[in-house]
Amino acid sequence: MSEDTMIGAVMVIGGGISGMQAALDIADSGFFVYLVEKTGAIGGAMPQYNKVFPTNDCSMCIIAPKLVECGRHANISIMTLSEVIDISGRAGDFHVRVSEQPRYVDINKCIACGQCSAQCPKSVDDSFNSYIAKRKAIFIKYPQAVPLKYQIDPAACLRLKDPDSCGICADICPPGAIDFDHQPQKHEIQVGAVVMALGFQTFDPGKAKVWGYGVYPNVITSLQFERYLAPNGPTDGVLARPSDGKPVKKIAFLQCIGSRDKNHCNNEYCSAVCCMYAIKEAVMVKEANPELDVSIFYIDMRTPGKEFDRYYERARSEYGVKFIRSRIHGVEPKGGKGDLRLHYSSVQGKQVEEIVDLVVLSVGLETPDSMVKLAEKIGIHMTPDRFASISAFMPVHTSKKGIFTCGAFNGPRDIPQSVIGGSAAAASAVALLTSVRNTRTRPIAPPAERDVRLQSPKIGVFICHCGTNIAGVIDVSEVAAFAATLPQVVHVERNLFTCAQDTQDLMIQQIKNLGLNRIVVAACTPRTHEPLFRKTLKSAGINEYLFEMANIRNQNAWVHSQDPEAATRKAKDLIRMAVVKVTSLTALKPLRIPITPSALIIGGGVTGMTAALNLAKQGYQIHLLEKTSQLGGNALHLFQTWNGEHVPRYLMGLQEEVNNTPNIEISYNTTVTAVTGHVGDFTTTIRSGTSRKRTIQHGVAIITTGAKRYIPEEYEYGKIPKVVASIEFDKLHMHNETRVANGKSFVFIQCVGSRNQERPYCSKSCCTHSIQSAIKLKKEVPSRQIYILYREIRTYGQRERIYSQARELGIIFINYELHGPPKISREDTGVLVEVWDHVLHRPLEIKADMVILASATLASPEAVELANLFKLPLNADGFFQEAHAKLRPVEFNVDGVFVAGLAHYPKPLEESISQALAAAAKAGRLLARKEIALEPNTALVDPVLCDGCGLCIDTCPYRAISLVEYLDEAGTPLKTVAIDQVLCKGCGICQGTCPKRGVTIAGFTYDQIEAQIDAALMDALPTEVTP
Amino acid sequence: MIYEIKVNELAEEFGVHRNTIRNWINSGALPAQEGPGRRYLIQWEDYKQLCDRYGREPRISPEPSARTETIQARKEAPALAPVRLGPKTNPLYTLPTLADTCLTCGSCAGACPISGVDDLDPRKIIRMAFLGLDEELLASDWPWKCTMCGKCEIACPMNVEILQLIQRIRSRRDRDKIPPPIQKGVVTCLEKGNNLGIPKDDFLALLKELGKDLAATACPGFVTPVDVRGARLLVTINSKEPFVEPDNLTWWWKIFHAAGESWTIPSENWEGVNWGLHSGDYSAIRTVVKRIIDNIERLNCKALLLPECGHAYYATRYALERWFPESLQQFKIYTVFDLLLEYLNEGRITLNPSLHAKLTTFHDSCNYGRKSLKTFGHGYFDEARTITRTCCKNYVELIPTEEENYCCGAGGGSWASPFSAERVFHGRIKARQISESGAKVVITSCHNCKDQLGKSLNREFNLDIEVQFLWELVANSLVTTGGQTP
Repeated sequence: MSEDTMIGAVMVIGGGISGMQAALDIADSGFFVYLVEKTGAIGGAMPQYNKVFPTNDCSMCIIAPKLVECGRHANISIMTLSEVIDISGRAGDFHVRVSEQPRYVDINKCIACGQCSAQCPKSVDDSFNSYIAKRKAIFIKYPQAVPLKYQIDPAACLRLKDPDSCGICADICPPGAIDFDHQPQKHEIQVGAVVMALGFQTFDPGKAKVWGYGVYPNVITSLQFERYLAPNGPTDGVLARPSDGKPVKKIAFLQCIGSRDKNHCNNEYCSAVCCMYAIKEAVMVKEANPELDVSIFYIDMRTPGKEFDRYYERARSEYGVKFIRSRIHGVEPKGGKGDLRLHYSSVQGKQVEEIVDLVVLSVGLETPDSMVKLAEKIGIHMTPDRFASISAFMPVHTSKKGIFTCGAFNGPRDIPQSVIGGSAAAASAVALLTSVRNTRTRPIAPPAERDVRLQSPKIGVFICHCGTNIAGVIDVSEVAAFAATLPQVVHVERNLFTCAQDTQDLMIQQIKNLGLNRIVVAACTPRTHEPLFRKTLKSAGINEYLFEMANIRNQNAWVHSQDPEAATRKAKDLIRMAVVKVTSLTALKPLRIPITPSALIIGGGVTGMTAALNLAKQGYQIHLLEKTSQLGGNALHLFQTWNGEHVPRYLMGLQEEVNNTPNIEISYNTTVTAVTGHVGDFTTTIRSGTSRKRTIQHGVAIITTGAKRYIPEEYEYGKIPKVVASIEFDKLHMHNETRVANGKSFVFIQCVGSRNQERPYCSKSCCTHSIQSAIKLKKEVPSRQIYILYREIRTYGQRERIYSQARELGIIFINYELHGPPKISREDTGVLVEVWDHVLHRPLEIKADMVILASATLASPEAVELANLFKLPLNADGFFQEAHAKLRPVEFNVDGVFVAGLAHYPKPLEESISQALAAAAKAGRLLARKEIALEPNTALVDPVLCDGCGLCIDTCPYRAISLVEYLDEAGTPLKTVAIDQVLCKGCGICQGTCPKRGVTIAGFTYDQIEAQIDAALMDALPTEVTP
Repeated sequence: MIYEIKVNELAEEFGVHRNTIRNWINSGALPAQEGPGRRYLIQWEDYKQLCDRYGREPRISPEPSARTETIQARKEAPALAPVRLGPKTNPLYTLPTLADTCLTCGSCAGACPISGVDDLDPRKIIRMAFLGLDEELLASDWPWKCTMCGKCEIACPMNVEILQLIQRIRSRRDRDKIPPPIQKGVVTCLEKGNNLGIPKDDFLALLKELGKDLAATACPGFVTPVDVRGARLLVTINSKEPFVEPDNLTWWWKIFHAAGESWTIPSENWEGVNWGLHSGDYSAIRTVVKRIIDNIERLNCKALLLPECGHAYYATRYALERWFPESLQQFKIYTVFDLLLEYLNEGRITLNPSLHAKLTTFHDSCNYGRKSLKTFGHGYFDEARTITRTCCKNYVELIPTEEENYCCGAGGGSWASPFSAERVFHGRIKARQISESGAKVVITSCHNCKDQLGKSLNREFNLDIEVQFLWELVANSLVTTGGQTP
């Protein structure tokens, strides 16, 4: 395709978290995005969840800013109630037919007042609430929905079925938005690329009768359980037995419902997320009620992700969640009062009967049939497990060029993997369409800023209910009445969700109509929500820094939920403090600096090379650093991906492509020795071999430094030559060395160096790796005896297929978790392995010709220094700690630096590649901006008060302060400090250090903070202290 | 250490009836002394032994850490010599679906009603086969205490064919080590044409006599049709009926009479019961079925009815499909359900719906139910209920039911086998199901089920129920042309 005929627009199908992420990254990189969503609002599954693991963040709260961002993005067009019928054309120029179902509500007129819904006489089961509550025939999907526009459910509406009946909503709708004559519409859209983020549905356990779902009311799905726990759910977060509303005392979670099962359904794969979400749900209820008896019944506890095993361990030891390794065959009623009977065989093989009053089915993920059909129609290949067929080397590419895919449609996965996939798909689409960047976008120009310097403060206070998160504890109406009495406050308003898109629009209106010039939002934390509100102020034409948040949720309603009165008092204090501060705030101008259009990528493994190639295709200059003399990293030791693709061949192609790409400059034997600068303008000093140091200018950096392997100290490694580590074994196997060639009996030992006290994490890829080696050995010589000694088999997702294959081939799996690790000794010319069987509880002896240790993946020791140079955090295991485990999986709080691959956490190749692309997407999105606005909340020197003592210089963690000597008018030599506004992060340490009040932070001046303290102590002052 | 127990508490713990606990105490299976206030005193060790025998976690333990100690103690126990794993020679099975694909998830062990008996369960059986402990498996009685009900298989997420494995184990056992009554039945049947060795003359005389009685009472003009050439339907007989309960035969006869059926009983090799299925003797299964085919061909019949038992139908159908597929083209094989429903639908019989007022339930035989579903693609659930509910308006289902129903505890030859304590233990769940349903009449379609429910569980668990065959219910509900029930 000739480049000039390519179209600079992309269609993203599916408005869940993965699709939203793709849409945002693509739109911010200079392309127009059509975001096609099947239901009436974007958001996908995340808004249904209560909290997310392992951070325990409120799910709605962390997704809300993204919803709003999509909703108001000038270059994202959200198409709701729409489905793609067909895609024709080719990469760069696709023709997409979209069918849009009628909403029956004019989206331009609806003001979401809700009167229609209040009056609508027809109630039906609400799918958003997983059918545990009702909604009306005219409804919004959920309170924070984007777009926040009502819709009529044609299957439920009385009027649409019978034109002579009802029609109340049309009669009462204030703006007259109801239109029963809406017709389905067809749209024909031209785009250059398509991203399929089709998502998943949960397995319907009613299909198999054994679990009693749909028969016994106290058997519910995990999604229903989320809705029970959610403060914004139909029960306001109160958990009670569905049958009789009595308090729940004993809960059983049943794992693998609709997963790893070819009997009750056709889902042989592992759904990959259920173990973690069940633990999270268990922890949530235990947190709320420690007396509850909570058990999780499972086959293998699959918690291979970052921080997952720690979470699992904490659930067990701190929260007292019981973990029982036994799959429950069925649920039966006990008596007629709603109790449920579980009969199972314990891990010791004993028969146990338990009576519980709530059973939660951890339902698996599957691709809806309609999505499979769409995929077939478009002509993209699917796996036998009915997910998009993707290569591990191209983890977001479908079988059709120009059509990308991400999220759970690529196989069951959790939120971070979906977010990474969304960004990775974005990077791939952007690389494809680089030549037509900014050809279809609409410029984004905020309105002119109103000068408020001479105006007296007119403060608007917006108090958020956060559903019941805040309003459930704090008396918000009392707080609002109080806020209205505060000086300079001219407007007070309460919102169900202040972060919802309609509230943002309303806020803009209020600012304009009432002439507000300072805003206080009393809600949650500025960490997640401040950028959102600042953007709103900007859109309303006032300076975004004339804004203050009072955190009455995280720091108040959540922690003082037991004492509502005190919490209400504290809310008043917090708001008074915020009002006082906002009064004295001044408009600040961000510092705009140009971005150097190049990236430094540290680490020349597959991850680094992938990121380099993508960014190079996006048109940027790349400096790729490799500490050895060869590109390839850990992948040099790999032979195949989990689904059998040949790694060396791929690696060779990748190396060649990197070598032949003109805008990638590779430095071998190179390490980083110093880093200065900041996002958009870094200067990094490197040293190659013994040559002299040199510096590189770059706008962004991606850390892909990989990991190293653990050298075992256990199992006679290094003492018995027939005991080898898995990577060594692969080499021996490849060369068919005599130990392998003549071997008749092989024993693999899993978790060597992983999941122990010293390294309480899972190395994630070893189960898959050992099983692959075992399969290969067995296929070569079927008479070989092969044993895998394990603790949990973690072949998550579609990898389960190779575990099944291994068992079919007769490979023997023995679990040593209960009876302890195997013992290794020499016997004759072989190795004697002693281990206990987990089913028979008897000692076993295996004479092995080789013992293969699946050794752990360790953080690279160089990470520590690199982290210091770039001021990045590491986690307890030495891996780089991303900004947010869920939604910012490749970013740091230090802008302009990204991480991907093993440097982040052990992971298999396709996840590294996916993450590399995601990091490239983030880096590219930044570089596409050409210039960057830096936070103006930086330190300012008062030349009168500063005497140049220099105390602040050493305390500054960003080396932003330097000593300046100058002569005053009289010619006296004087000293003071100068602060580099670009380097300064506004942390305030200098301000705290300075004994002379010679330095202040804009937005946090002495006056402002003191005013806040005075406001905080206002009520406390009269209290007399008795000596 | 001595503990005070109450019979009802212990009964609840083991899921059995109070009577069963008293039986254990009286028979010495559970050594106990009478104590004050209707309590018994037992040694903890005896209690522990009882727990071990039924594979239960002791609810009472001397100290909280006893659980881990059990494991520890077992580790140190000298009896547990290590098992040396290695290549299997002449393994019990070759297909990986019989054991290799097992996930060891425990579903089967949780579903099986006799899990824990002899410290074994389906998962352990599969594991032993998988690890090659064939000799131990063949020596174990567990596969014979198993009723091959298939509850384990429907629980298995990996579709491991556990029943086939049990069948293999049974097949491999030395014939002289098979529970004697079963092996005797097989041998007698092969030698004499029926399991009990009833001589031809006695049999024919009995049929004639019964026919006469029937003609004199309910069915005027009735003559027992023996060896009627060209009859449409060949009917086999369970040798236990002429031997023990000859009158039971006439229920079917009344129905045939009412329906105007053209039918016949062969004079020789009339046994439909096929205990080769229980003993794992495939050659015996085949021989018995071949004899039935021969009878059909000899008498030129068009259809076959095996009225005796779930397993007879299962074994015959299985053998026909496996070894005589051409015969299935020549004649139709009826289940009791097919035939009764055909009579009803064609209006050949009419049933009185108002004779049975008591709360009634239907117990699905494993062979007609889930095993037929799995092997032949159809389980006889709806048919059974349609017929039962035509006669009994006051109907209740057992929970769980149909495919997930629990076995009565007497299948797979258990009724005839010597393991009666285990059989009753197995039946405790069935008894609980019936008692929780409140049903006073249980209808079933299998001799073993009827005997176990009516003669054993009813007494052991004080169920106070009446158990009827489906055809017994139908025969007793028949409305004759005069509008009278015979």
